[in-house]
Amino acid sequence: MLLNDAFKTAKRSLAQSKMRSLLTMLGIIIGIASVIVLMSIGKSAEALIVNQVQSVGSNLVFVIPGGSPNNRFSSPAASQGIVITSLNERDAEALQRELSVSNVVADVRGQAQVVYGDNDVTTTYNGTTANHFAVMNMMPERGYAFSKSDVDSLNRVAVIGQQLAMTLFGPNVDPVNKNIRVKGLTFRVVGVLPPKGTGTFGIDQDNLVLIPISVAQHEMLGINHYNDLIVEGNPAYEQSFIKSRITFILRQNHGVTDPAKDDFTIRTQEDLLSLLGNITSILTIFLTAIASISLIVGGIGIMNIMLVSVSERTREIGLRKAVGATDRDILQQFLIEAVLLTMLGGLLGLLFGALVVGLIYMAAVRFSSVGWVFVLPMSAVVLALLVSTFSGLAFGIYPARQAAKKNPIDALRYE
Amino acid sequence: MLAVHNLQKTYIQAENPTPALQGITFSVDKGEFVSIMGPSGSGKSTLLNILSFLDRPTGGTYTFEGKSIDDMDDRALAHVRNQDMGFVFQSFNLLARLTVYENVEIPLLYSQVPVAERRERIEEAVRSVGLPEKLFVEAGRLSGGQKQRVAIARALVTDPAIIFADEPTGNLDSKSGAQVLEILESLNQKGRTIILVTHETSTAEFASRIIHLTDGKIDSDRPVSKAAHEHRHFQK
Repeated sequence: MLLNDAFKTAKRSLAQSKMRSLLTMLGIIIGIASVIVLMSIGKSAEALIVNQVQSVGSNLVFVIPGGSPNNRFSSPAASQGIVITSLNERDAEALQRELSVSNVVADVRGQAQVVYGDNDVTTTYNGTTANHFAVMNMMPERGYAFSKSDVDSLNRVAVIGQQLAMTLFGPNVDPVNKNIRVKGLTFRVVGVLPPKGTGTFGIDQDNLVLIPISVAQHEMLGINHYNDLIVEGNPAYEQSFIKSRITFILRQNHGVTDPAKDDFTIRTQEDLLSLLGNITSILTIFLTAIASISLIVGGIGIMNIMLVSVSERTREIGLRKAVGATDRDILQQFLIEAVLLTMLGGLLGLLFGALVVGLIYMAAVRFSSVGWVFVLPMSAVVLALLVSTFSGLAFGIYPARQAAKKNPIDALRYE
Repeated sequence: MLAVHNLQKTYIQAENPTPALQGITFSVDKGEFVSIMGPSGSGKSTLLNILSFLDRPTGGTYTFEGKSIDDMDDRALAHVRNQDMGFVFQSFNLLARLTVYENVEIPLLYSQVPVAERRERIEEAVRSVGLPEKLFVEAGRLSGGQKQRVAIARALVTDPAIIFADEPTGNLDSKSGAQVLEILESLNQKGRTIILVTHETSTAEFASRIIHLTDGKIDSDRPVSKAAHEHRHFQK
């Protein structure tokens, strides 16, 4: 039998019972749609994270107090709430003198109630150096960033996040040059940041208050150490070299001779991306594996209905064999029917999945300030079509073999 | 055209051998119209299944157009069924949801006849059974007699050398049955070999020769008498 005729015959058989064909495909449609939605969400989350990490600027190295002895991805002590005072001004100055380093940003952080008029909100304040804005690619969209002289003079000026400005001042009041109170101290708002979403250290930058580090250290926290240093590398040098120079300088400053006793942790953007990429990949694989179970269930549904179909069409099989069909012709016909069912199911699942992803994306854009990126990975599309075709072959082969094995005499007599 | 010698067929039921055919020997020449008669269980359907390559004998020899069934694999048997044999069944075996055209096309699907030639052959076959206006009607909507005529068109479409008809009038009223037998008779007159299985004497007498089976053995193999022929035509 010509392949073209086999396809036509299979199409005709499926079209004869449209409702049954549709219901048979339902399992595959749901399975493929689930895989598409979950893979797309996974990839969108990954793209979002990558965008956010990269948006803070390029060629950055993050220095966090406390060692991370097990491996490069284990949590440093500082991230577990333990106060470590190992990073200080001397380190920042030493790093700033290093040729392979362009800029060093120092940060301290705390939580405080921020008040304007009758409005108040508890949020994170970040004491930082004046170069923070340029290095972190966070220039205010209204007003201006505070300067080095503001830091040196302990001026009480603040740059606030987009969402915080909205919460405190509402849509009709320009926050610039208005006074807010942070932890009981009065600050003049000099700038408002553009929307940024969640930043590198998991801080919601849209609700952040940036103030001079000198004010935060001496007037609010009463500390001399830093919570982290952000080092911008000189583009003329490799990041691995910069990392090794920072390690060398900090070990020298802290008198560390045994690398196992490092009291700081250095992470590059690549490390962060790799770590976050690993997490989202594992999550995507896990979710896809769960969705695949529904594909298997869908495939078993196909097999079940195909077996019923073979049984119902026993006389047809007998007739076809009597007039010259070989076992292979019959096997081919039923296999093509199963593959057509699953391929069509795969295509419909793909469309349905893309529709759901589109709706989720629209909802995410509408209800979240986070800059979601719509990703429908080509790999998911190809995978969906391959998997659906393969499931047709895998779950169709048994019923097709049952059909092909039928004895024509018994089949013709079948009632 | 075909010859069987000492043909045996034994079924094994619950480990007990049950003989269905025992030492059948006869031959059929090209252009003959042969009826196989016998009561239920006499082995006539088993014999037809073997003659039409749907089954294999357990003993003896069967040669069709000079080739022995023993020398052919299942694929070769399917090829001969498709090219050289036509089938007409008691219960028509049409696919009810397909049109007359699509039903008659089925044997051609397995002989890889080009699409353009297919249409010509289908139209010719359907015309020859007198149903050209029903070409695109669903088979399920036809009367019993029309269904059997479509089945004959399906048997003819590959231009086979021989047609096997298994109780072709069994599910028809007498008028439709007579029409079907007349079509078979006219096909025979045009040189086609016909083997008809029936348990009705009046139907069997449309043939020129009747082989009578009892308990898997031939108990008579005789030409149909002139008187019987005349009687049949008188009844028509």
